[in-house]
Amino acid sequence: MLGQVIISGILSGALYAMVALGLGLIFGVMRVINIAHGPLLMLGSYTTYFLYAHFGINPLLTVPIAMAVLFVVGVLLQRGLVFRVVDAPELSSLLLTFGISIMLVNLAQLAFTSDLRAVEYITGSWLVGGLAFSKPRMIAFVFAAAVTALSFLVLKFTRLGKAIRATSQSREVAMVCGVDVGRIHMLTFGFASALAAAGGALLAVIVAIQPEMGGVWTFKSFLVIVLGGAGNYPGALVGGLLLGLVEQVASLFLTTQLSEVVAYVLLVLVLLVRPSGLLGGRQT
Amino acid sequence: MTSKAPTALAVALALAVGGVMPATAQGPIRIGASLSLTGTYAKLGKNQHEGYQLCEKEVNGKGGLLGRKVQFVVYDDQSMPATAVRLYEKLITEDMVDAIMGPYSSPVTEAAVNVTEKYKKVMVAPLAATTSIFKKGRKYIFMVISPAEVYLEGLVDMAAKRGLKTVAVVNEDTLFSKAAASGAVELAKKKGMQVVFTEAYPKGNTDFSALLTKIKAANPDVIAAATYFDDAVALTRQMKELNVNPKMYGVTVGGDLPEFYDTLKQNAEYIYGATQWEHTLPYAGNQEWFESYKKEFAHDPSYHSAAGYAGCLVYAEAAKRANSLDADKVREQLLKLEMRTIFGDYKVDADGFQVAHKMVTFQWQKEKKVTVWPDDLSKGKPLFPTPAWTGR
Amino acid sequence: MAAAILSVLAALAAYPVVGTGYGVRSVQQIFMWIALAGSWNLISGLTGYVSFGHVAFFGAGAYAGAILVASAGWPWPLAALAGGAAAVVLAVVIGYPCLRLKGPYFAIAMLGLNEVLRALVSYFEGLTGGGNGLSLPTLDASVPIYYVMGVLAVVVTAMSWLIVTSRFGLRLMTIREDEVAAEAMGIDTFHHKLAALLLSAVGPGVAGALMARDQGYIEPISVFPLAITVTMIVMALFGGKGTVFGPVLGAAALFVAQEIVWARYPYVHPLLFGAIIVGVVLLMPRGVLGLLQQRYRLPRTI
Repeated sequence: MLGQVIISGILSGALYAMVALGLGLIFGVMRVINIAHGPLLMLGSYTTYFLYAHFGINPLLTVPIAMAVLFVVGVLLQRGLVFRVVDAPELSSLLLTFGISIMLVNLAQLAFTSDLRAVEYITGSWLVGGLAFSKPRMIAFVFAAAVTALSFLVLKFTRLGKAIRATSQSREVAMVCGVDVGRIHMLTFGFASALAAAGGALLAVIVAIQPEMGGVWTFKSFLVIVLGGAGNYPGALVGGLLLGLVEQVASLFLTTQLSEVVAYVLLVLVLLVRPSGLLGGRQT
Repeated sequence: MTSKAPTALAVALALAVGGVMPATAQGPIRIGASLSLTGTYAKLGKNQHEGYQLCEKEVNGKGGLLGRKVQFVVYDDQSMPATAVRLYEKLITEDMVDAIMGPYSSPVTEAAVNVTEKYKKVMVAPLAATTSIFKKGRKYIFMVISPAEVYLEGLVDMAAKRGLKTVAVVNEDTLFSKAAASGAVELAKKKGMQVVFTEAYPKGNTDFSALLTKIKAANPDVIAAATYFDDAVALTRQMKELNVNPKMYGVTVGGDLPEFYDTLKQNAEYIYGATQWEHTLPYAGNQEWFESYKKEFAHDPSYHSAAGYAGCLVYAEAAKRANSLDADKVREQLLKLEMRTIFGDYKVDADGFQVAHKMVTFQWQKEKKVTVWPDDLSKGKPLFPTPAWTGR
Repeated sequence: MAAAILSVLAALAAYPVVGTGYGVRSVQQIFMWIALAGSWNLISGLTGYVSFGHVAFFGAGAYAGAILVASAGWPWPLAALAGGAAAVVLAVVIGYPCLRLKGPYFAIAMLGLNEVLRALVSYFEGLTGGGNGLSLPTLDASVPIYYVMGVLAVVVTAMSWLIVTSRFGLRLMTIREDEVAAEAMGIDTFHHKLAALLLSAVGPGVAGALMARDQGYIEPISVFPLAITVTMIVMALFGGKGTVFGPVLGAAALFVAQEIVWARYPYVHPLLFGAIIVGVVLLMPRGVLGLLQQRYRLPRTI
């Protein structure tokens, strides 16, 4: 049983990591806490649903499309609203993104209704030994791992990535070095939204889609960032896997109800003992 | 005096006479209800509303009630008990409606009934299935559907008859599902079966892999799940992924919706579900009602539609027999009344608790729901045992 | 000014005599929102530490009060006070770890808090009834509760006024403006924040217990919904966070607007609230009262 649960944990962990990376980027670069992250994921899910249901597009192909769509949405949100609170106290950015998240959810309810949608694509699993590897979750894992790896490559080796990391470390110095900080902010927000959308698109074949599905993802993404260390991008990977494993193992030995509490207790413990995260990030 | 005066006098006299006569003799009978038109229960609350609307249309088409037309006044409680409480107060004390019909779901009904009892208003509550609501010494509330505890009765009964020995029961941790689960557990024990695993999961849970891993280890013959829609879907999919193969697997609410099959496709085959009503049941006028509903609202009715419709008819019948809208007189009639509608039978005990209505259990067979239990209402035999996922 | 306030209070005290059952309930709800928004303001408006989980205190008070009435037969006014006490205990348990950190972490921790409480309530179902909810013995106390809730609203507002006009309040606001500087000045930020959190938990705790008594039935989903946190935030923001009467204004105005809009446009209700939050944050960060304070040079301490 433990083996099965560990597999489930790793599979969900990669998804957590990818989505949380987006949140971490926004926080690292702009010091903005994006409460609307979950709703962006939800919009990614709906994009997949509609492309699949109305145009019959293979759900896996919709992932890049969802990413592109939400990239644009993210850029627009940043350019239209969020940029105004980048320098303001954190209270403002928290409240602003909170307000945006409520609006996005309600807009989704109006546009799509609260009816549950599901994308039926691949079900079942590959059985190896006595262990089941859920097909949809494996596919999501592969995609998430690929996207996360790609993101890291971009961050490490491209000019854009370096500019992003420079801005994370120190905005002033980056500006002095000629980085167009405003543009970086826009692109980062767009990129983060694309990561959330990818998560949503992959989730679309696993869970039922409804407008309020994103909320729990916002919280979990934060949890991952805290575990891995804010500003420490590879930390998101560690944090994600850890969260996935802890949740599944807790569900096994306790009940599913209590596993939510366990995740929360973990958060509080980490905040108390090592606020800079398990891998150490930057001090806020 | 000018020639206008006599006319003025006549008009004044007419108005005086008209004013003295009870105003209610002219106006429609206003029936107030708070329904879940938005929020978590929106879809089913809407169906219930449509049932009320069809009843209104039918009663008015037959000459109204007590010589007056019937008119529903409906507010949206957003699926929240606290809001429903306020709205029922509003309906009773401000809008001064003549009669009350119940809201959607047990939690909302449980909260709202405190208001109707306070003002001594009769409330037929067609969509409340939790026994405890009706066993608290309340006088003016009446049940229409079968209680939650018997939702899984068909599944357990069929399992016992076929000699199956072990059961796992899982449920969402909310009022209705808990009642359904505890009913299933008790029934299983009574039939000599062994309950090898029970667990409640939080509402909104999407990942059942740990739960199912534990169930798989317990290896039950039967899995009885007290669910709503999304958890039923998720549970089924993950059962397939984890290769959990009980000989019988049944769900409750949500399994009867066409969307269940649309979403799961082949994977929904062999699954048992419970429903308060099917349009294929042999109650007089059932098929015709189904057709007229589809024509009016452009979608299939669910049992919530039928229950709402029937509940409203039951109230109207009682009021007719009491020849009054007075709460105590109508109550007396509702306690005595035995009636059959397209929804099934109505008869309550002294607490207003439903004792005559029968639930049916169906199984998804080749894209169709086939009623398989109880025997006197069934249309086919269950496909037993459920084949393993890999063998399909 | 004092005369105006007194006459309003007198009118409200007399209202139940003439109002309908629905009217009394509605005004009672306004009192509740004043208490909730005002309490949220104490921690978030004054210290700048945004609490996204404030409804947790409401729910904790609701359950504490309901359990005491249903299982231990306590009279409801006493149970309401106990609800407040329970909320304070919760605030201590949460505040100790979470307030040591800077704002964003506190916000995140509070975000998840009410989900955790919901899970705990479900787990301890022997005590709380779990998913079944908890039913209280039937009692029509609508009018007495109206008065108690009114007193609560007055107490919370008075407490706000006392804090805002005191040095304690000034120190809280210093924390909001620049926490590092505040510490450098020698302010014990941790204990100040904790005190603010405790004070901000009392109102919701008592209000929750009163609501539980009034409804006669509670279940986890209905006492821990995000919507309550959202509404109290919107009300405080709209009226003017950091001010004394801002939350009062926000609560009354938005409750009335909500009842009107809702009746006509139930489907866009959250959208409007979200838009108001966005609008206030971007355009009038100090709320309506803040705007008035600037325009008409009203005292800072209202």
